[in-house]
Amino acid sequence: MAILLQLLFTGLGIGAIYALVALGFVLLIRAASVVNFAQGQFSMVGAYLLVVFFTGLGLPYIVSMLIGVVLMAGFGVLFAGATYWPLRHRGALPVIISTIGASIFLENIVLVIYGPSPAVLPGLFDNPGFDVGPVFMDSQYLAIIASATLLVILQYVIFEKTLLGKKLQATSQDKEMASLLGIPVVTMVLITFAYSAAIGGLAGMLVAPVLFVSVGMGGLIALKAFAANIIGGYGSIPGAIIGGLALGIAETLGASYISVPYKDAFAFAMLLCFLAVRPQGLFGEKISEKA
Amino acid sequence: MLLNRRQALLGTAIGSFAITGRARAEDTIKVGVTVPLTGPAAEAGQFMQWGATLALEAINGGAGVLGKKLEVVYEDDQTTNPGAVLAFSRLVNRGDCAAFLASIRSTQVNAIAPDVIKAAKPVMFGGTDPTLTHSGNPWLFRCRPNDTFSARVIADYGVNTLKKTKWALVHSTDAFGNGGKNAMLENLKKLNIEPVLVQGYTNQQTDFTPVVLAVKQANPDILCSYFTFEADLGIFARQLRQLGVRQPWIGSPSIINTTSLNLAGPALWGTYGVADFNEDSSPVAKAFATKYMSRFKKQADDLSSWVYDALNILALAMNNAKSTDPKAIRAAILAIKGYAGTEGTYTYDSNGDGLRGYNVVRNDKGKIVFDKHIEFAS
Repeated sequence: MAILLQLLFTGLGIGAIYALVALGFVLLIRAASVVNFAQGQFSMVGAYLLVVFFTGLGLPYIVSMLIGVVLMAGFGVLFAGATYWPLRHRGALPVIISTIGASIFLENIVLVIYGPSPAVLPGLFDNPGFDVGPVFMDSQYLAIIASATLLVILQYVIFEKTLLGKKLQATSQDKEMASLLGIPVVTMVLITFAYSAAIGGLAGMLVAPVLFVSVGMGGLIALKAFAANIIGGYGSIPGAIIGGLALGIAETLGASYISVPYKDAFAFAMLLCFLAVRPQGLFGEKISEKA
Repeated sequence: MLLNRRQALLGTAIGSFAITGRARAEDTIKVGVTVPLTGPAAEAGQFMQWGATLALEAINGGAGVLGKKLEVVYEDDQTTNPGAVLAFSRLVNRGDCAAFLASIRSTQVNAIAPDVIKAAKPVMFGGTDPTLTHSGNPWLFRCRPNDTFSARVIADYGVNTLKKTKWALVHSTDAFGNGGKNAMLENLKKLNIEPVLVQGYTNQQTDFTPVVLAVKQANPDILCSYFTFEADLGIFARQLRQLGVRQPWIGSPSIINTTSLNLAGPALWGTYGVADFNEDSSPVAKAFATKYMSRFKKQADDLSSWVYDALNILALAMNNAKSTDPKAIRAAILAIKGYAGTEGTYTYDSNGDGLRGYNVVRNDKGKIVFDKHIEFAS
């Protein structure tokens, strides 16, 4: 029982990491109909910004994180201008390819600037964790779970309860109609990119003490986060969260009780099952072909 | 067809340039090196290049090779098997490399092995999977001791020195990790020990809790590990300590790599490692480590030392062979006996293995302390 509880906590922590990155995917899918394959690299850039401000310049941890998040938001706007805007009228595929290209560019530019040495960051708290009965609660995982919860609530409020959120959703559903209604479509798309990059960067800063900061860290988690997105329901905010958590728990339990070497296989087997049986995912809607 | 004066001059100029260029290109003897410039082992690639830089300075600062300077040509293997195959193929297709250096990662050496046979030129490598030099490939030459010896040293030290008999073995499931696991099982069996846990994992994981809990449940009195990537080792070490596993731990050389020590920090304090390179193991190793530290401000490790040795051995072999003919170089490498390198004293056997010993070291609060060197006759 103690082992099961420990595995559930760890699975929840890992799942929250996937969920955080998946949230970034969802935002762009919902507001700009873009699948951003550089979402993992947003996390990597965010983590490196924390290294620069905290380790390099010696600023306080939280201040470094805040500066990093703000810079990431600005970076998101630049990213939109470089990868999305010039191709926005050419359909989804060129934009996807453009984001894949950008992901490779980002990894290599960081490699050139920072070098290949991975960096180590301390956790958000001095205490690495504490025992609750037989379960060790890693404080960084707790921070990740708490952040994911807060961001879900924030995202829900923004999209469902604010005028800005309605405008973002209207822009996503039909840009022409949104424009006719007086919604500043360009601004909405740029806001979404900024928010998505900020959230991706924040995810990277939170996982950095767990996974270390390296050029390849984003790719490790982005693939699983994308799978979480499909499992939860393409473009669904609750789906991204539930999908991420389900994936984290399933692969942790699968690894422990069935086979460790096949840990990654459990995640992708789950993805294949959903694609075969329920392609719209847990919270997605069936998309029928438009007449 | 008659050429006018301008065309003739242009033709002469181009011809002269081509001849001069060719002559310049032939002023050096080239060695192609596949190196991870990108991917999770990019830092290892940096250390490899630094090892090569010091080797070239030593070789070219002396007599050079056959009266010429030695030059290395790098290709990025991207820390992947397809990347390694592509990088090696690019180097071979250049046509001007006399020999090659491949990866320290056995799985990548395995991937390029068929192309090595086709290229039919000597390839020095650092992977420690024993089978790499026992598959009938005449062009592969190892510049580190293979895992038959690392496993013998780990088993011997753990059982006879540390007096531990209840073993847990954690290993990567790639060629290196499986090779190490098989060698460990064989050597423990010789000591009448059946491990209480043999646990594989796939490379580049985000979490090792299931592995750590498996170790904890097995309750061994010693843990042995064969990790391929330092980041994996770092995450595992931290989680191992967080979840309260404190038993003695002895690992393959990655446990004392500069990168691992940096990433895992105190989580690796008190562990033991087998190290093919240790600066206190010989005067040659000491001199290399001192030069490396003064030049690059980092502690030297096996990632740079084997490259340093490999280039020096190639230079020695070409000079002894008085030729860059692949067969002559091969024969000269196999004839090397008692060459003092940074990794140990090289005497090549017919399989292409040059070293047969390991150092046992201990992590004393982040400082790697030399314990002893164990050398085997075969």
